[in-house]
Amino acid sequence: MDRRNFLIKTIGIGAAATLGNTNESVATPINVLSEDRMGVLVDTTVCVGCRNCEWACRNSHNIPTPPLEDYKNRSVFKEFRRPKEYSYTVVNEFSNPQNPLLPIDVKFQCMHCDKPACVSACIVGSIDKLPNGSVVWNSEKCIGCRYCMVACPFQIPAFEYLTPIEPSIRKCDFCIERTKEGKLPACVEICPVEALIYGKRSEIIKIARDKIKRNPQRYIKHIYGEYEVSGTSWIYISSREFDKIGFPKLSNKHAPGVSEAIQHGIFAYFVPPVLFYSMLGTLMWINKRKKELDVEEESNES
Amino acid sequence: MKNKIFITIVILFCSVTIIIGQKDTSQFQNQNNKADNHPSITNIENRSSFFFQKKTGVSHSKQPINCKTCHSCEYPTKNDPCLKYCPREGMMTVHHSPDESPEIIIMDEMSTRFGAVVFSHKLHAQMSEMSDGCQGCHHFNTTGPILACKKCHEQTRQREDISKTDLKGAYHRQCMNCHRQWSHTTDCNSCHLPKNDDFKRKISEEVSRISGKNHPPIILPTKLVFETGYSKGPIVTFYHDDHIKLFDLTCNSCHQHDNCIKCHDLNNKLTHNIVESQKIHKVNKSFDDHHKPCVACHKQDHCSDCHSTKELEPWSHEKSTRFALKHYHEKVACNKCHIRKSQFEKLSIECYSCHKDWKLGSFKHSVTGLILDDNHNSIECNECHNNMNFSSKPTCENCHDDKSFPKHLPGKLRKNNIMNNSKSKITKK
Amino acid sequence: MNHNINPVPLSGLYKVRPFFTPGVIILTLIALNGLVFVALRFIFGIGYVTNLSNEYPWGIWIGIDVATGVALAAGGFTTAALGHIMHREEYHSIVRPALLTAMLGYTFVALGVVIDIGRWYYVWHPLIYWNPNSALFEVGICVMIYLTVLYIEFLPIVTERFMGRVNFPKFLKFLNKPVEWLLEKLDKGLSKTMFIFIIAGVVLSTLHQSSLGTLMIIAGEKMHPLWQTPVLPLLFFLSAVSVGFPMVIFESVIASKSFGLKPEEKILKKLGNMVAPILLIYLAFKIGDMFIRETFHYLFELNIHSIMFLIEVIVGVIVPLFMFLSRKAIKSLTITFWASVLVIFGIVINRFNNFIVAYHPPYSFKPYIPSIGEISVTIGFVALLILLYRAFVMFFPIISVQPKNNAQIITANNYEVLNEK
Repeated sequence: MDRRNFLIKTIGIGAAATLGNTNESVATPINVLSEDRMGVLVDTTVCVGCRNCEWACRNSHNIPTPPLEDYKNRSVFKEFRRPKEYSYTVVNEFSNPQNPLLPIDVKFQCMHCDKPACVSACIVGSIDKLPNGSVVWNSEKCIGCRYCMVACPFQIPAFEYLTPIEPSIRKCDFCIERTKEGKLPACVEICPVEALIYGKRSEIIKIARDKIKRNPQRYIKHIYGEYEVSGTSWIYISSREFDKIGFPKLSNKHAPGVSEAIQHGIFAYFVPPVLFYSMLGTLMWINKRKKELDVEEESNES
Repeated sequence: MKNKIFITIVILFCSVTIIIGQKDTSQFQNQNNKADNHPSITNIENRSSFFFQKKTGVSHSKQPINCKTCHSCEYPTKNDPCLKYCPREGMMTVHHSPDESPEIIIMDEMSTRFGAVVFSHKLHAQMSEMSDGCQGCHHFNTTGPILACKKCHEQTRQREDISKTDLKGAYHRQCMNCHRQWSHTTDCNSCHLPKNDDFKRKISEEVSRISGKNHPPIILPTKLVFETGYSKGPIVTFYHDDHIKLFDLTCNSCHQHDNCIKCHDLNNKLTHNIVESQKIHKVNKSFDDHHKPCVACHKQDHCSDCHSTKELEPWSHEKSTRFALKHYHEKVACNKCHIRKSQFEKLSIECYSCHKDWKLGSFKHSVTGLILDDNHNSIECNECHNNMNFSSKPTCENCHDDKSFPKHLPGKLRKNNIMNNSKSKITKK
Repeated sequence: MNHNINPVPLSGLYKVRPFFTPGVIILTLIALNGLVFVALRFIFGIGYVTNLSNEYPWGIWIGIDVATGVALAAGGFTTAALGHIMHREEYHSIVRPALLTAMLGYTFVALGVVIDIGRWYYVWHPLIYWNPNSALFEVGICVMIYLTVLYIEFLPIVTERFMGRVNFPKFLKFLNKPVEWLLEKLDKGLSKTMFIFIIAGVVLSTLHQSSLGTLMIIAGEKMHPLWQTPVLPLLFFLSAVSVGFPMVIFESVIASKSFGLKPEEKILKKLGNMVAPILLIYLAFKIGDMFIRETFHYLFELNIHSIMFLIEVIVGVIVPLFMFLSRKAIKSLTITFWASVLVIFGIVINRFNNFIVAYHPPYSFKPYIPSIGEISVTIGFVALLILLYRAFVMFFPIISVQPKNNAQIITANNYEVLNEK
């Protein structure tokens, strides 16, 4: 094969790759952070552990559930529970050193990170961060690889391991179907003590700060989720250190940061791979040429 | 422009107040009608009056609260009152006792899933004396009428101002914290009546059950003996009775944040014996929290003043200060002499150090047991009591060369001689 | 220097033992056992067969079948780079076996992915739904393209095998001519364009071998600090490169033993000499990273993490490094072979550590221990891979046999090799 032919081909492939790239940036999943995105402030000092939210959540997501009366059973608090495929939210109880009779009840669910690791991780972009703050899983694209579960720093997405066909990733969707219709999330609506305050994230952070300022004895000076993994839509205030009430200790850097930096570093608009490709091509050609010259020389000599 | 907005707001506010006020009374009438068939309901008929505190009519600028409580600026005007948003800090003047409060309140405003709550207001108010008092629930009230919860707390959860909780949350926050502690459940039916056809009858049944009930009077202990973990002095003797009487304390000056659970616990049945219940609910308080109620007054006292290895005798003025409180002093409140409150500084034993107003004409000498004759009754005190020193022996030498006390008296003794005692005290000294 | 290469299908050689040896029968049983569990997984769901949970979403199917599979198939691109891009013809004899390993290896990686993902029938979704932020997307796309490239690279072997010998049974006889024509065209076309695919194979391998390392970076605090590092992609790439030649050495020796052929000692030892420098670079980065991030103090906490890390580094890297560097290794194929085995072991442990040992979720109720089903499938796949490898070398011209004196000696581009008679 001749040199010209080869070079043309190499350049052609490079150009094709670059062109492909322009389309790709359009296909990048939306990861919008609207100023008006919503959030929920969970005041763990107010929560009474009635578990009505668990019922409401199941009920609104059409998950079979025992009647609401059964949820008053407090013996479930004996063990630490986690959100699962058929319970997007759970309330756990932790001892309160200040008053053993008033244990601290904490509701857990997807935190709806501002920079969600699951969204960044998902191989097919099946999880989206929506402008209203919700991190929502999309059934059509999902291939069930469970990389979102590996990525999530709060260990939230759950998987239907016992479903052979069309298993789903299941997690709190911030009641996207309800909020679309202008309703409140089911858990927020049912909470008898309004331990869950639904509002603009900027506004609930102000409220949280104000509460801590007003009641310094009641709250510790920490709003969980304000800065953790560079911010979550659900934020918590508490009377006890958060690592003592079931929250992971996390840095303020967002989870997908390093990964995305590396990823974009390696690809960088396909330039490094294309360069690498051309380099290898040139190297191959040089080596081949050298060999051919050697053979020619040999034959000439002989 | 600004003024216009303000005026509209004021008008709106007034009309809302009026409407809600009317609604309040009408609602009660409705409730009364509902429960008409029951006789015991009559005692809650003139309820509307309970919504007004007794001290009204005072110009609001002369109310005994800081202007800054409600206004954010220095000089609020009618045009620009610069009102602070709720929740404001401390502002509550409730002037009536629990017994004057409404006996029963039927709350049936937001029930979508559950029936009404028949709330025994008086019973709860009585109990609240041992904790936060009226303020516990009626927080941030203005100095005017007692406001209904819904006046500030909006009825819908989806609302503009989310900084204060909605009505449902406000109601439940008041009840559930305590209820779940003593009943160990958050069951809705423990307060809400079931929502069914029988509902009217249920309400009247509930009303008749509660009405007329009073919280049993709280028995005050005289003495409490605490066993503490302090090795040098494990026993602390607390004379509860003395503290209340001597220092004029009310329940919630110490039991400010006490919980119903202190006496009531469904698992421990009802323990009305405070000493016992205290032992049961040993709370892990920090050192500071533990000592807070005492240290507020016992600032400079040493540990060993309270902590001892044995039970301590009640405090006596004579033993500790060597000044027996007798006769007139016995009945005088501490702060009449120890003027600086909560600081019982050592006072001079000299009468005049307190009785500065003793002077000719204003002092009835007969109370000492010696009735002065007319001559002596008209001379200055310090003619006999040198330098107004009433505790030492009076002198006659200023006028008389040949007379001396107590050989010669400037009058005559009263029959029931008190002087002998004081004399003995003087000689003792 | 002309090295004589002459790959032939081994089935026709008199020296070769029959296909079904006792070893093969055992392997078949193991493979069947694995396939039974695969069937159960498809009927009853992943949870029925595996011990995976919401706490541990990835188990040995990803950690070993996929991650280790990709690493061990690295022989394909390293030898391609050496043989074709560096144009060192003497190594051409090992290119085909390495290519076969890579092709089969990646096929089983793909199969591993298919059984592990919940919606296996959507395995092609990354082709149409793109998320360039995702490391897994890159791995997925690269593996898919690379697998295609590997099949294309393998095509000449197929054409070589069948060209001029297409002979369908009676009623399909009319197909003989068109197929023959097709094969000829294919052969011609491929020999001209093959360089594109060879270079693409190397580039794609470089990309996804490293991206496989990026995979676990997003797990952040869930990964033990001994392994969690931003240079993971580099470490993965270096370790993949370093395991490429040892894998070729290992399988060449085993295949030769198995078929009773003489291993190509000279070439294999030469390959062995090239392992040491790569291994040294890998080790330098691994240790250097540990010191820069000051994670060495975790080594003194005696627990599963520190022990596994030490095994991985000492047994898997340092010991074989010394073996390769020793003078004896230059002469002895045995030492080269065992050093290669250790390197392979080290990489297997490394991938296992990265994906399974290092992963500890914030809320863990019971540790992840692979179930019998998972282990059966993993071992079954390995057995199946060996069986297929054996079948392929039997029926396709892959392994070069030392030519007899009268045999035609060909020194030309691998893809212009003439048919054996």
